Amino acid sequence: MNQAPLTGIRVADFTWVWAGPYCTMQLAHMGADVIRVESETRLCVSRVTPPWAGGQYGVNRSGYFNQYNQGKRSIALNLKHPRGREAALRLAAKCDVVINNFAAGVMDRLGLGYRDLVRVRPDMIGVSLTGYGDSGPLHDYVAYGPAQVPLSGMSALTGYRGWPPMHVGFSYGDPNAGTHAAVAIIAALYHRERTGEGQYIDMSQWECTMALIGEGILDYTMNGHQPERDGSRDPSMAPHGLFRCRDMAELVAGTPVDMWVAIAVADDAEFARLAAAIEQPGLAGDERFATLAARKRNEDELEAIVTEWSAARFASEAAEHLQRAGVAAAVCATSRDLAEDPHLASRGYFVELAHPEIGRVKHAGIPWRMSETPCSIRSPAPLLGQHTDEVLTELLGYGAAEVAEMHAQGALK
Amino acid sequence: MAGPLSTVRIIEVGEMVSAPYAAKLMADLGAEVIKVERPATGDRARTRGPFAGGAAHPEKSGLFIYLNTNKRGVTIDLASPRGLAIFEQLISGADVLIHNLAPAEMDRTGFEFERFRRVNPKLVMTSVVPYGLSGPRRDWRTEDLTLWSDGGACYLNGARDHPELPPLKAYGYQAGYQGGGHAAVATMGALFGAARGAGGQHVEVSVQESVAAIIEMANTFWPYMKMVLTRYGAKPVQPLDSFECRDGWIFACCVEEHQWHSFVEVMGSPEWAAEEIFDERFKRGVNYDALRPLLAEWIGKQTVQDLYQRAQARRVPFAPISNLADLVNSEHLRARGFFVDLSHPVAGRFKYPGAPSKLSRTPWEIRRPAPTLGQHNREILGGELGIDARELESLRSEAVI
Repeated sequence: MNQAPLTGIRVADFTWVWAGPYCTMQLAHMGADVIRVESETRLCVSRVTPPWAGGQYGVNRSGYFNQYNQGKRSIALNLKHPRGREAALRLAAKCDVVINNFAAGVMDRLGLGYRDLVRVRPDMIGVSLTGYGDSGPLHDYVAYGPAQVPLSGMSALTGYRGWPPMHVGFSYGDPNAGTHAAVAIIAALYHRERTGEGQYIDMSQWECTMALIGEGILDYTMNGHQPERDGSRDPSMAPHGLFRCRDMAELVAGTPVDMWVAIAVADDAEFARLAAAIEQPGLAGDERFATLAARKRNEDELEAIVTEWSAARFASEAAEHLQRAGVAAAVCATSRDLAEDPHLASRGYFVELAHPEIGRVKHAGIPWRMSETPCSIRSPAPLLGQHTDEVLTELLGYGAAEVAEMHAQGALK
Repeated sequence: MAGPLSTVRIIEVGEMVSAPYAAKLMADLGAEVIKVERPATGDRARTRGPFAGGAAHPEKSGLFIYLNTNKRGVTIDLASPRGLAIFEQLISGADVLIHNLAPAEMDRTGFEFERFRRVNPKLVMTSVVPYGLSGPRRDWRTEDLTLWSDGGACYLNGARDHPELPPLKAYGYQAGYQGGGHAAVATMGALFGAARGAGGQHVEVSVQESVAAIIEMANTFWPYMKMVLTRYGAKPVQPLDSFECRDGWIFACCVEEHQWHSFVEVMGSPEWAAEEIFDERFKRGVNYDALRPLLAEWIGKQTVQDLYQRAQARRVPFAPISNLADLVNSEHLRARGFFVDLSHPVAGRFKYPGAPSKLSRTPWEIRRPAPTLGQHNREILGGELGIDARELESLRSEAVI
C-alpha cells in the first residue's frame, strides 16, 4: 500500500484561528508534516473558545482547536525574541510550504515575510491568507471569518422573505478560504514537482467567499438584479424547506430541542409520491398543487399541510418514511444527531484518538477516501508547544543545551 | 504564463454544482477539462436560473455559465454501449475523471473504477457522492437543501429571537460548493501522488461529510459538553451580529477583547459599556439581550461607510453587509482585478467573479466561456479521437452524441 499522497511535504504553519488551520489540516490529512508555530504570548483564539472537554476550561481542552488541528505538531516560538525568530527562519528553510493568515504586513514586520523566507528556501511556496488580500486600497483592513459572509454578498441573499439580511449561522468564510487555499497550494506543489519552481500565493477570504455565490453575482452582472431573500424556498422546487417535527425525544440540559425535517420536491412525480406518503394522495391532482407553478403560487398553504403531517413525527421517522416513498428528505441535524449518526459511524467518519490531556473524544474526520494512498488522522491535535524540543533538536539542528538556554531566555514560549 | 495544472487533462461527468465546481477550480488553474453531458438535455444546471435576460434558456443559465468556464463540452449517452466505448477512448488519454453520478446510477450503467482503470492505469477517478459509496443512506435521494441539513449546517442558522421560525438555509447551493471544494483538494492530492509514482486510484468524496467537517464548533459541542447548538441560543461571544445603520446594514464583529475595547472608544465610551455585565467577551455573550438594544441604538445613528472606516482604523473587523452592486462597484476589488469580463456566444458579455487565489508564477485565468451543449463534439470526437464524419453523423442520428 502506498503512503498518503503528501507524505514528505513539510508545512510551516504560522496560521491561527480557523481559516489557515482548516487549510493545513487538509494537508495533514494527506500526509504532510504540518508544524504549527504558536505562542503562549498570543494564544490561538480557538484555544480559548468553547466547547471545553468535560466543561472545564484549558488551552488544550477546546473542541474548536482540537477539531481543526488534528494530525499537526505544535511548537512554541516567541517571534518577538531574536532567537525565536531565528528558529522560525530555520524552520522555514526546512519547509516546502510556509503559510500565515495574519493581517497583511504582520509577517513582514517580524522579518518573516515571503521575501525574507525565499532567501533561505528559494523553491518555497509562500501563502498569505488574509481577509482582503495583500493588494488594493483595503489590503490592511482586518477581517474575521464571521464578517466575510456579510461582506461577500451572501448575507444580502440569505434570509426569510421580507426580513433583513441574515448570517449563515457559523463563520463560513474561514473553512471555505482554507479549502480554496489547499487547492492553490497543492496546484503549486504540482507545478514545483514538474519545474522545480516555487511561488507566492495571495489569498483573500472575501474573494473566496464570493466564489460561492457566483450565480447570484451573475444575476446582477447579467440582469442588474439583486435577488430577493426567500427563506429556504427554491424557484424551481416546491415544497422546498424545513418542516417542524416533534422535539428531540430526550431533554438536553433540561429543555426540549426543536427538530425539523428538510424536504425538497424536484418535480410533479416526486410531489405525487410526497402526497401519497403523507396520506393525502388527492393533493397530486388538486389544481392548487398539481404543477410547479401552482405549488409556487400556493406555497404557504402547501407548507402548512406538510407541517400538519410532520409535526406529529420525529424528524428521523419523517425522513426515513419519505425516503422509502422516493422523496428527497433528511433530518435537519443537530450537533447531537451528527455525533450519533449511524450512517457516519458505519463509514468510519469519526476519529477518537488518545489526546494526552482529554483522552478519547469523538471528532469529525476526513470527508474523502483514497483507494491506493489512504489518508488518516495520525495524531490528535497537539498540546500547546508539545513538539518544541523535538522539532528544534531533530529537525532544526539545535543541541539540547541550546534549547534549554532558549527556554530560559523566553524565546520558546 | 500558464496555470499550474496546464499539463493536466480532466474528464468531467458533472451535474449541477459539486463535481462541476471541483472541475472549474482545476480548469481555472490551467487544466484542460472536457465536460461530458447527456445528449439533448445536458447538465441539469442548464435548467436553473438566474437566466441572462430572465427567460429560461439552456445556454443562458447563470449557474451553468459560472460553473463551467474554461471547459470544452461534448455530449455522449453513457447508457449506450457505443457511447461508453467513445467515453473509454476519452478516459484513455486523461489524468483525472471526476463525476457526481449517484451510486445507484453508477451501478446501473457500469460506471466503475475497476473498468476504467483497465483502460487507463494512471487514471485518478473521483466520485463526488451525496452520502459516500457505503453506509445505510448511500442511496438516499438528495437535493442541496437536504445535504446542507444532514451535514449539520442548516440547524445553526435562523432568527435568534423567533424560535417559531424554521432553521434557514444559506443562499444557493452551499452543500454542492463544499463537496466540490473538498473534491478538488482530494483529487489534486491524488494527482500529486500520481506525479510521485503512486499510480492511479479511486477517490471518494462525501458531500454530507464535507459539510459536517466545516460547521465550526457544532461538530464538537455534543462530544465535549453534551450540548446542542441552536440558531436561537446564546452565542458564546458577542457582538457578532448585524445592525441597521441610517443608510444600510453593517456587521459588528468583536472576537478578541482588544477589539471590544477599541469599539467602545469608537462609540465615545458610553457609561453603560463600563458595566460589569459587559466586561468580558463571554459575559457579553450571556448578557447579549441587554447589550444588543444598546448597540442597536448607537449604531442606528451612524452611516455604514463611516462606521466601517472608523472601526477599521482601530483594527476592529467590522464589515458592511454588501449588496451585489457594492461588490461590482468596489474600488478594492477593481484594484485587485477580481471581476473578469467575458463574452459568451449566446448569453452575452458580462462580469464573472474571478480568482479565489493569486499564484505569482502560474496565474489563475479564464481562457474560454462555458461550452454550449455539444459545442466541441466535432473538434474532440472527430479531430482528437479520430472518429470520421460519417460515423459522427450516425452517432448523432442515433442520439449517442
